[in-house]
Amino acid sequence: METAIEVRDLVVVRGKREVLHGISALIPRGSVTGLLGPSGSGKTTLMRAIVGVQIVKSGTVTVLGDPAGTARLRRRVGYLTQAPSVYADLTVRENARYFASLYGLGAVEADRAVVDVGLGDAARQLVGTLSEGQRSRASLACALVSNPDVLILDEPTVGQDPVLRDELWARFNALAAQGSTLLVSSHVMDEAGRCGQLLLIREGRLIAEDTPDGIRAAAGVQDLDEAFLRLIRAQDRTATTADGGR
Amino acid sequence: MIASLRAELLRLRRWPVTWVLCGTWLVLNLAFGYLFNYLSYRSRDGSGFAENITDAATARVLLRHLMPDQAPITLVAGLPMFGGALLLILGAITVGSGYGWGTWKTIFTTRPRRHTALGGTMAALGIVLAGLIAVTFVLDLIASFTVAAAESQPTTWPSLADSAQGFGAALLISAMWMAAGVLLGTLTRGPALAVGLGLVWSLVVENLLRGVAGLLGPVANVTDVLPGTAAGSLAGAVGALTQSDPNGTPGVTAVIGGTAATILLGAYLVLFLAGSLTLTARRDVTT
Ligand SMILES: Nc1ncnc2c1ncn2[C@@H]1O[C@H](COP(=O)(O)OP(=O)(O)OP(=O)(O)O)[C@@H](O)[C@H]1O
Ligand SMILES: [Mg+2]
Repeated sequence: METAIEVRDLVVVRGKREVLHGISALIPRGSVTGLLGPSGSGKTTLMRAIVGVQIVKSGTVTVLGDPAGTARLRRRVGYLTQAPSVYADLTVRENARYFASLYGLGAVEADRAVVDVGLGDAARQLVGTLSEGQRSRASLACALVSNPDVLILDEPTVGQDPVLRDELWARFNALAAQGSTLLVSSHVMDEAGRCGQLLLIREGRLIAEDTPDGIRAAAGVQDLDEAFLRLIRAQDRTATTADGGR
Repeated sequence: MIASLRAELLRLRRWPVTWVLCGTWLVLNLAFGYLFNYLSYRSRDGSGFAENITDAATARVLLRHLMPDQAPITLVAGLPMFGGALLLILGAITVGSGYGWGTWKTIFTTRPRRHTALGGTMAALGIVLAGLIAVTFVLDLIASFTVAAAESQPTTWPSLADSAQGFGAALLISAMWMAAGVLLGTLTRGPALAVGLGLVWSLVVENLLRGVAGLLGPVANVTDVLPGTAAGSLAGAVGALTQSDPNGTPGVTAVIGGTAATILLGAYLVLFLAGSLTLTARRDVTT
C-alpha cells in the first residue's frame, strides 16, 4: 500500500524534556489510522510534527513525499487542533464560511461541512453559545471544509454521544474510501476497532503499529482494551528485565 | 492573499465588534463634531446652558466650523484621540482574538505563508477603514448641510483639494492607530491585554508625557515624535482647532508641522505593519 506519511526516528523536545524518543511509523494512503495512547504520551506532539508546526530535534517527517510543513503541503493537509479553533462570536455557518473562503471555496461547501458534522440545525447559532461537544464539531467542520488529502484530527470525538461518534467514524471511513488519509487520535479504545490501522504510543515511544486484528492476535485477546493493557504490561516487563540485567 | 482577504472581510462584516466600534465612532463624531457645538451655538441667546458663549464673535466661529466647507476638518479632528483609540481597539481585537480562540494556529498551518494570513487581515482592515472614513465624511457633510439650511447660511461645498487632504489625513491617522492595535494584538497574542495597553498608551501615557515635556525641556524631544503627537499635529495642520482652544478637540496639537507629521505617521504605519508581519512569521506556533 502507498505511504502517505512517513515518520522516521522522530525526536522532539518540548520545554526541557524529550517527549518523543525516536518514533518511526508509516501511515498508508486512503486509510484511517488511529493514534492511541494515554494522556501525555505525545499524541498531540506527534500530530504537530506531522502538520509541521513542531520544532523537531532530529528525525524526519515526510507527508505526501514532501517534508512536513512545506509551503505547498499546507493546502493539502487539514488539522483539527485538540482545543476548538473557531471564533466564538461568529455563528457556526459563518465560521465554516470563513474557513471555506480561506481555501477559495464558497457557501455550498461550508454548509455541507456543517451538515456533515451534524450541526445543520445549529448552523445559525453563535459558537459561543454551543455546548462543548457541539463546539468541537464546529471546529471539525472547519477542518473538513476544504476536503484535504491528509486530515490530522486530534481527538475529534471527545464529548460526543455514542450515536454521533458512530456517525463521525462512518464519515471518516467514507473520506478514506474516497482517497483521503486520516490520522485520528483518541483515548477511547472502542473507537480503535473502526480504524484500518493503529499506532499505540506510550511515554513518547511507539509500542504497537498494526491492524486491529493484528493487535488482537499479538495480544491473544479479542477485546482491544484488554489487548492494549497486555501490550503495555509486556513492555513494562521487558523494560524491568532490561534494567535488572544491567 | 486574495482568499485570506476575502475570508477576513467576511469575518469583519459578520462580526458584531466591527459594527459596534464603527457605530460608536460615527455617533461620537456626529455628537462632538456637530450636535453639541450646534446646541451650544443655539443656546447663546439666553436659553442657557452654555453661559461661556456670550460673545457674538465666538458664536460666529462656532457656526463657521459647522459649515459644509469645514467638513473635511471635522472629519479629522476627532481621530487623533477618540477615533484613534476606537480603531486601535478594532485592530487589536481583530488580530488578538484569533490567538484567543486558537484560530490563527489552524490558519497558519493551512496557509502557504503566514504573511498571507496576516496580510489578508491587514488588507481587510484597510478596506473597512477606508469605508468608515468615507461614511464619516458623507455623514459630516449631511450634518453640516442640515445646520447650514437651519441657520440659513450659504451652502458652499468643500473644495476638492480640501476634501482630498482631509480624507488622506483622516486615513493616515486612523490607519496608524489601527496598525498599532494590530502590532499589540500580535505581541500579546490576545485581545484583552492588547486593548488595555493600547488605550493606556494612547489616552494616558502620551498625555502625561506631553504634560511633563511642558515643564522639562529635554522630554519634549521624545514627546514630539510620539505617534499621538504626530496624529494630533497632522489634524492641527489640516486646520482642526487645537486642544488649547476653548472649542478645540482633545488630542489635536500644533507641536510639529504638517509635513513632518505626515512623514512620521507614515513611518509608524510601516513600522507597525512590518513589525507585526515579521513577528508573526518568526514566532513558533504555540500549542
Ligand atoms: N509547551 C510544552 N512545554 C513543555 N512540555 C510540553 C509542552 N507541551 C506538551 N508538553 C509535554 O509533552 C508531553 C506530551 O504532550 P502531548 O500534548 O503530546 O500529549 P497527548 O498524548 O496529546 O496528551 P492528551 O491525551 O492529554 O492530549 C506531555 O508530557 C506534556 O506535558
Ligand atoms: Mg493531546
